[in-house]
Parts: sequence; C-alpha cells; structure tokens
Amino acid sequence: MSELASLVVFCLLAVVILGTALGVVLSNNLVHSALLMTACFIGVGIMYITLEADFLGAVEFMTYSGGVAVLIVMGVMLTHKGEGVPSNPFNGRKIWAAALSGTFIAVMGLVSTFVTSSSQGGFVSEDTVGDLADMMLNSYILPFEIAAVLLLAALLGAIILAKGDEES
Amino acid sequence: MSIGLTHYLLLAAMLFAIGMFGVLSKRNIIAVLMGIELMLNAVNINLVAFNRFMPVHDLTGQLMALFAIVVGVAEVAIGIALAFRIYRDRNTINVDELNRMKG
Repeated sequence: MSELASLVVFCLLAVVILGTALGVVLSNNLVHSALLMTACFIGVGIMYITLEADFLGAVEFMTYSGGVAVLIVMGVMLTHKGEGVPSNPFNGRKIWAAALSGTFIAVMGLVSTFVTSSSQGGFVSEDTVGDLADMMLNSYILPFEIAAVLLLAALLGAIILAKGDEES
Repeated sequence: MSIGLTHYLLLAAMLFAIGMFGVLSKRNIIAVLMGIELMLNAVNINLVAFNRFMPVHDLTGQLMALFAIVVGVAEVAIGIALAFRIYRDRNTINVDELNRMKG
C-alpha cells in the first residue's frame, strides 16, 4: 500500500515538474514562463520532502520559489518592451536545440540502465537540520565561509552592476 | 514496482534536457536564465537522490545541494543585474543582437 502511494506521488510530481518546465521553455509570454517556473520549483521542493530531505525542501521553497521567482519577475518588469511584442520568442536554432536535448535524454536513458541500486539503501536522518548544522560548522566550515564571502561579493556586484557608476 | 534511484536520475535528466533546450533556443536573456535555473534544479535532485539511495553514512549529498543552491542564487542575482545593465546600455536583451565582440 505505501509502495503504491509512493509510486502515485512520484508520478504526480514528475508530471507536474516536467509539465511546468516544458511550459517555461515553450511559452511565448515571459510572465507565464516566470509563474510556471515558480510552480516547477514548488514541485521540486515537494520532491525533496518525499526524499526525506525536509530542510532542503524548505530551503527550496524560500530561495527558489520565493526569492529567485521575485527576482526574475522584477527582471521581466524592468526589461519590458511594451505591448504587442512577443516577449519570449525562439531564435533560429530551435531544431538543433531540440535534437541536442533529445540526444541527451537518449544517452542518459541508455546510461541509467547500467545503474544498480544498492539494496541496503541510503542514509535517512531523523533530524536533518541538526545533522546538516553539525556537518556545516565542523567538517565543512571552510566551504561555509567561502559561501559567505561569495554571497557578499554577489550582493555588492549586483548592486554596483544595477546602479552604475555615474556618481564618481 | 517501487521507486528507485533510476527513476529520479531519469527525471533529473529530462529536467536538465528541458533547461538545456531553453538555454539554447531562447532569444530573451531572462528566459536563458530561467533555463539555467531549471538545469541547476535537475542537478540538485540528483544530489539528494544519491544521498537517499546510495550507501552513505551522512548527509553529504544534501549539504552539497545546499551549497549548489547558494551558488545558484548568487548567480541569478548577478545575471538579473547584468540583464538590467545591458538593457539600459543597449536597449535590448536579445542575445542574438549582443554581438559587438564578433570577429
């Protein structure tokens, strides 16, 4: 029964994620693309929760379907060209891009037949927040600090790029 | 039939291919950024699925996914700022028209 339930949940989530992702790339309206991308990120976050990664699911909801979606919508709004212009057209390389993506899926499907899932399964944590905090502040303290510096640099760089230097 | 690692890997490969199609076939620079975000999410699904199904003894995969999210968010902030700057300087965000360095 629970196996059937997990199968149904996985299929529903896969349909939602792939359908909204296809909508993002096929839509001719950039605002529709942004909204569908938010739905896609919500689906991915629910999939993290079904994979026993509940903290990562919460992070996905907050950063991607919260922060990144707002940023993208702001970008769409600030670079709007006016009514009547299709805001999200394809370029002339649509066929080649589709062929390359199809080839990629075919190769990955072929490769995935060689994947052997181990029977003992992976690690399931009772307290993902505590375990992640323990790892992040003990053995992975250097990447943590580098991520802090990276975020500061990205913050300053984004402000300087968007504001310009007409003051100096 | 139970859901295993292969299903998640196939789903992530399809999501990556859709994002790659968006990156290669779109004209608007913000649509290209959206495709990059889809590809980043596909990679994160892979990391979390490996942590769930491969024989490991800690949450390294989830931590790597967390760092990947940090880098991806920094990248999209810079990308939007760049797009805004390009729009102000050139009055276009069509990637086909941004060819001043073409030889």
